[in-house]
Amino acid sequence: MTRTPNTESTTTIAMSDSSTSGPKLGEYAREKGEVVLRPHEFDGIQEYDQKLPNWWLFTFYGAVVFTVIYWTVYYHTNLLKTDHQIVQEAISIVEKARQEDLVKALASIDDSKLVSVWAADPSIVAAGQATYSTNCTACHGADLSATMEVAGKKAPLPGLPLNDHQWKYGGKPMDLFKLINAGTPPDSPGHNGAKMQAWGQTLSPKQIAELTAYIIAKVPDDFKAYAAGTTN
Amino acid sequence: MSTTTTITYDDTSVRRFMSASIIWGLVGMLVGVIIATQLSWWQMNGKFIEAISFGAFKGDGISFLTFGRLRPLHTNAVIFAFVGNMVFAGIYYSTQRLCKVRMASDFLSNLHFWGWQLIIVAAAITLPAGLTRGKEYAELIWPINIAVTVIWVVFAINFFWTLAKRNEPSLYVALWFYIATIVTVAMLYIVNHLSLPTSLTHSYPIFGGLQDGLVQWWYGHNAVAFFLTTPVLGIMYYFLPKAANKPVYSYRLSIVHFWSLVFIYIWAGPHHLLNTDLPRWLQNLGMLFSLMLWAPSWGGMLNGLLTLRGAWAQLRTDPVIKFFVAGITFYGMATFEGPLLSIRAVNALSHYTDWTIGHVHAGALGWNGFMAAGLFYWLAPRLWKTKLWSQSLANMHFWIGLVGILLYVVAMWSAGIMQGLMLGEANPGGATLKYKFVETLESIHIFYFLRSVGGFFYLIGFGLCAFNIWKTARSGVATNDTAEVVVLERTRKDRAGLGETLISDPIAHIVLGIAFTILWFFLPPHADKAALIVAIALGYKGVMAFRKSGGGWSRWHDSLLENYIPFTILVFIAVAVGGASQIIPSLVVNRDKNIEGRLQELYTPLELAGRDLYVAEGCYNCHSQMIRTLVPDVMRYGRAGKLDDYSHLGESIYDHPYQWGSKRTGPDLAREGGELVTGAKYMRSGKRGNDWHFNHFLNPRQTSPGSNMPAYPWLFEDKADLKALPGKIAAQVRIGVPWPALNQHEILDMAQVQALEIADSLIAAKVYLPDKPELQGLALRDQLAASKFVALTAYLQKIGAYREITKDQPAEPSMLNPDSHRRPEKVPAATTQAH
Repeated sequence: MTRTPNTESTTTIAMSDSSTSGPKLGEYAREKGEVVLRPHEFDGIQEYDQKLPNWWLFTFYGAVVFTVIYWTVYYHTNLLKTDHQIVQEAISIVEKARQEDLVKALASIDDSKLVSVWAADPSIVAAGQATYSTNCTACHGADLSATMEVAGKKAPLPGLPLNDHQWKYGGKPMDLFKLINAGTPPDSPGHNGAKMQAWGQTLSPKQIAELTAYIIAKVPDDFKAYAAGTTN
Repeated sequence: MSTTTTITYDDTSVRRFMSASIIWGLVGMLVGVIIATQLSWWQMNGKFIEAISFGAFKGDGISFLTFGRLRPLHTNAVIFAFVGNMVFAGIYYSTQRLCKVRMASDFLSNLHFWGWQLIIVAAAITLPAGLTRGKEYAELIWPINIAVTVIWVVFAINFFWTLAKRNEPSLYVALWFYIATIVTVAMLYIVNHLSLPTSLTHSYPIFGGLQDGLVQWWYGHNAVAFFLTTPVLGIMYYFLPKAANKPVYSYRLSIVHFWSLVFIYIWAGPHHLLNTDLPRWLQNLGMLFSLMLWAPSWGGMLNGLLTLRGAWAQLRTDPVIKFFVAGITFYGMATFEGPLLSIRAVNALSHYTDWTIGHVHAGALGWNGFMAAGLFYWLAPRLWKTKLWSQSLANMHFWIGLVGILLYVVAMWSAGIMQGLMLGEANPGGATLKYKFVETLESIHIFYFLRSVGGFFYLIGFGLCAFNIWKTARSGVATNDTAEVVVLERTRKDRAGLGETLISDPIAHIVLGIAFTILWFFLPPHADKAALIVAIALGYKGVMAFRKSGGGWSRWHDSLLENYIPFTILVFIAVAVGGASQIIPSLVVNRDKNIEGRLQELYTPLELAGRDLYVAEGCYNCHSQMIRTLVPDVMRYGRAGKLDDYSHLGESIYDHPYQWGSKRTGPDLAREGGELVTGAKYMRSGKRGNDWHFNHFLNPRQTSPGSNMPAYPWLFEDKADLKALPGKIAAQVRIGVPWPALNQHEILDMAQVQALEIADSLIAAKVYLPDKPELQGLALRDQLAASKFVALTAYLQKIGAYREITKDQPAEPSMLNPDSHRRPEKVPAATTQAH
């Protein structure tokens, strides 16, 4: 970078080169420590022969040295974990947190609490509704009927209706919670062969409880029996 | 003594290639703008015709206008038609002048030109028709592949024959890059297009799964390197000093960056598959060679920009210099960003997002597009012996194009980084993820809009260029230059024997040094350290020998430049080493030994038909089938309770072509499939039921509000091509998929039974087609059973199905698998409770 070629001097060199008797262009410049203009030209294009910039060279060398170090560290020490180790360790932590959340949630809710406390709280029901509309409407319908309006007709959706007072997998509030959390039981053939996914993987136990509360609030008659103070 | 002669250059071919480049450039960029708007508005996939035809057309989409089919058209058009023709124009113009001879054969030049245009037309017809091989930038069907190969060979013969006839003793640096381009593209293209035809329009790649992915990105990455970069660097080396009227900055930089670039580039392909289940040693090579590639790439940028020292005043006045400077600057930017994105930790965020799209467009719009514009503005006045029609229009093109690029690139960076961060964000406590996929998509909507605007600006700018060049051509007369040249005496040129050139000190040191470096990658512990020490010693000895030779090595390289055949052979060796070192071990080792405990369930005939539809519709353009070994990926796409539910190599081992994908505009589909439905013979049900898919393909926004996926109404009307299945299955058997012995009737029966199972489940779910509500019962069942939709659904319900294979022992130490040399580590407690 430091050796800015002096345009004028190179012109002189180029001219002196055209006399055949003069010194070789490159040799001359090299002896003088000047920037070398190569003697040959291609269709009028000439080339200097500047030294490679040091910072450029060190970028290159640096990358080569890094390669040697990285490879050696990865293959000859156990300082860097394999991807499989890293992921499995991290996911086992996630799974543990999920289990703990669930245990905590299960300890804090039961049939009567879901009905009398959760489903009775409008803010909880509203949160449940929000979760419902982003995750559940595609299969169970916005109005819980598992249908949608297409071209003036009620078209069926993949899920079971939630407003028909039929609870195929158990009608207790906690049955709903567990069903949403774990998905369609593995031994069930599913509905038309389709099974609901385990929402516990995507939603937190709190969100699932809110969702349960929302459903309870939409069809309260089915769950009245479990309200606090009633015997069942 | 020397004699002189007058030659006339073939500038007609140059004019033709240039005009073709401009026309195809307009087409390719227009398609680009259209598909950009499709990501913002799903209606752009065909429904918009309803509005502009005032309702004469009815429908939610048109098959040949969907993103999945048009995106390959866009990429192929800009790469092979726009840049391809531009590169040919530059090469034909400069090679003749650098060799002081007319192109060797007018017949070959014509054949090259017309053949190439015919290929482009064939591509423009077949790609929207859904005829594709399903591999990015390698989508064209096999008969076109053969045509491309033939025309490329025609070009190569014409080029090398011209070199042989040259009246210039030495090869100028531009020609080195052209040679590297021709040789390497031939190698890449042929290997990545090896396939077994099943019909005139369909074939299966002979590689599957991991191998296909590795070969694909060896090709894909180096198509960027040797189709979009090296020839354009060659063009820079000729046209930039011409335009600036300055000597090139540094000859020795040319030598060093040329050889390091062509050698290192090839190794970097696996960086397209970082954090996937690609074996770690390949990922390491991909990342490390990408980092080492940074300096060689910048060598080209330096030689370009520093050539302009003392010529910066022209930047204000000369549009050609303006375009060249901006183009080279974008090249520098993109080749800095590339190594950055190749760092595994950065790639974890950026991969599968729009950051990659921003990166390639900095290269495509900035480097290729602007270098093309500079070239055209320089060439046009000379090819038609006139002045450029309008300098100010060219300046306008520059500024509008620059604004377009910046809008585009910044929008894509923002979209990519934002979506990458959102996808990885966990809820407090870390047990669940915060955003659904579609929420991350909706949040980048605004950037998609800005990207379309940027692309549109760029298209407008290029339209101005086309108009300007057209007016320039009209104002002048097409002229073929003549030149008085000294005929070269044939005494020395190209006469140095192969042995004399190749058996030399520099070659000995470099070849041995590289050989021991490669042994260092592959040898077992301790032996590899020895190899590394030998490699370093050879490097040191090489430096000493170079110093002692007193310019001997330079003289050797100078003599190499006077002998194009040894030069070409050395280039071929340099580019072949990287691919061979990565691909051959993978072909030998990874097929059956390395499945990581999971072996893919074979497809049924109907599922195979569905898979071919998945490929034909270009689903891979937006959906990956690869859960990376990253926590957010496993949390989002893995199944509950499994600690190791990232994709395993064995899961896609029989997939021809592999469908790991390179971009997620929609979610990953690797776990979309599921178990056999109780009581069904073949029908499976995965994450979602058949009727969910029914609703989804009719109207993706019904099942996934906020989705930008096109509707696929024709899947319900068109019949799946089941008759081709016996032939396809026979071809699959020949490329190594272990299908059971099935005769034609069994195949068709199986397909029929499964199709009816799915159709029955839909009838039971009381589905109906919105535009034909009267179609019910058996009639609807029969239409569905024969439809493409049912075949595709059969495939979707199968994706990711595998059998557990008894936990394979830690891989045996093997020369061909560096990962097996890692010191064995304690198995983490986590794995034991994995299943």
